[in-house]
Amino acid sequence: MIPSYRAAFQWQSRAVLGRHLTVYRRNWHTAALPPLLEPIILLLAFGVGLGGFIPEFAWRGRPVSYLAYLAPGMLAYTAFMTAFFQALFAAYIRMHYQKTWEGQLVTQLRLEHVVWGEVLWAATLGTVYALIVTLVLAGFSLTGWLQLYWANAFLVLPLLFLAALAFATLGLLFTALVPSIDHMNIPFFLVIMPLGFTSSTYFPLEGDSPWTQAWLVLNPLHHLAEGIRLLLLVGEPNHHLVAACSLFLLMILILIPVDERLLRRRVLGEG
Amino acid sequence: MPTLAAHPNAQNEPVLLACGLVKQFAGRRVVDGVDLRCRAGQVLGLLGANGAGKTTTLRLCYGFLQPDAGTIRVAGVDRHTDPEAAARWVGVCTQDDTFDTDFTVRGNLEQMSRYFRPRPPAVKARVTALLERFGLDRYANAKPDILSGGYRRRLMLARALVHEPRLLFLDEPTTGLDPQARLEVWELIDTLRREGLGIVLTTHYMDEAERLSDELLILREGRVVAAGHSRAVLGNLIGEHMLVLDARDPAVPAVRDWVRQAGLPEPTRVLSSLHLALDGPGLAQFSTRFGDLRFEVRPPTLDDLFLKLAEPS
Repeated sequence: MIPSYRAAFQWQSRAVLGRHLTVYRRNWHTAALPPLLEPIILLLAFGVGLGGFIPEFAWRGRPVSYLAYLAPGMLAYTAFMTAFFQALFAAYIRMHYQKTWEGQLVTQLRLEHVVWGEVLWAATLGTVYALIVTLVLAGFSLTGWLQLYWANAFLVLPLLFLAALAFATLGLLFTALVPSIDHMNIPFFLVIMPLGFTSSTYFPLEGDSPWTQAWLVLNPLHHLAEGIRLLLLVGEPNHHLVAACSLFLLMILILIPVDERLLRRRVLGEG
Repeated sequence: MPTLAAHPNAQNEPVLLACGLVKQFAGRRVVDGVDLRCRAGQVLGLLGANGAGKTTTLRLCYGFLQPDAGTIRVAGVDRHTDPEAAARWVGVCTQDDTFDTDFTVRGNLEQMSRYFRPRPPAVKARVTALLERFGLDRYANAKPDILSGGYRRRLMLARALVHEPRLLFLDEPTTGLDPQARLEVWELIDTLRREGLGIVLTTHYMDEAERLSDELLILREGRVVAAGHSRAVLGNLIGEHMLVLDARDPAVPAVRDWVRQAGLPEPTRVLSSLHLALDGPGLAQFSTRFGDLRFEVRPPTLDDLFLKLAEPS
């Protein structure tokens, strides 16, 4: 196996992951509040509030409420946002300001372990936050506002972990590229907004133009949101899940060596 | 299960043996064929002006950077063929503070120990012993941000030692410290040397290099220009005597002419004085030629060497 990928399974990467877990565990009570409150607020504001003004609409030939449409999209969006931002902001701060990476790189850890440690941690956090959203959705189900195929809900978590891994590699790409922390709005406008808002997470994106069709085929977040939606609202395994997995694997395969190369240049001045 | 026993070769060779190191950045050779060796219980000082290649050489040796050419062996282990095993025996105290600000002082030492395999035995007891030894025990549960410069250095040193290395790299260990804190760090380094640790350090402070180093390696533009005991290095590079005269003296142009005619190195101007390195016969000739001139003769120091190295080549 190529060293860049082999490092994912080595103890050094787990040591970096363990470091982040230790820090997070100490602050879990404050750190877990935003992911817990955010979906509650969003579901209440958009799902219940805005959704109250939107009558049931046809999605794939079935009538759905906006709240039911939104709920699976939020799962996908949470994994995406959490992993991307953790691999971007938090990793950048550790790399540039806290010099945590430099302190790790004078041990038996190499850059590929630091990269994988960051990616694994961002993916873990993305999945945990998605799990919190799942629990919030379960709470909404208890009120009778949501009807989902709950047996499938926990099957979605491994898929969300894979998604978060892929989005973390994308976040880390910008960590390697942004000239300074003042330029963090560039990935926000280049990635978060175009990907996030044109991915069938918050509203159905449809269109017959070849550009729209091509974008929908290539946008992994669209496949993730639609795949989870079909699984949770209809209970059907579907081709979006396969497409999402393929695109995420492709992203990881391509971006891990690219991230490593760019970060090697940035952190070590080599390459 | 892996143990902490060193490689069999470690008994027969220096704890650090580097040959023909080369490193280029953007086509420029920053390190150009450097050899260095450090035995257990020895302090090797790397000296040179800014940009001489000291930190890069150090970074190559401790594995932060990969050399473009050359070999590095640590405690008998080839760094290229088994980087993980070689790194197990190395402790590093970088120039900047790179301790983990998300952890307490004690947490820093414990976390550092998790970055090494085989794990050091009895980590908790070792951490407690290091905290006491470096006077950090009263700050054990505090975040490192509250520490003074001297205590931050102590934490960096303690972190570098938590996994029981055999070779310690110190990159400008006392830069920015007050004289009292510098002395304390010097004493700690002396103790570590006596305990048998091989130590490679870089420094800008000439007194520090002279006081701490058993051997010096002088770098200029990435190359070794002299190596050995400080007195021998000074004799080779500077000369036996340093003659100091007033640069405003009317006889200075004549002195310069004489230096040029004798084929000696140009005198160095330091503020209002002129420094001229001479050997015994040279000093005798100078005294005969400029007997009426007021001048002072003293042994060369590492400061003279540093000024010489800082001159453009």
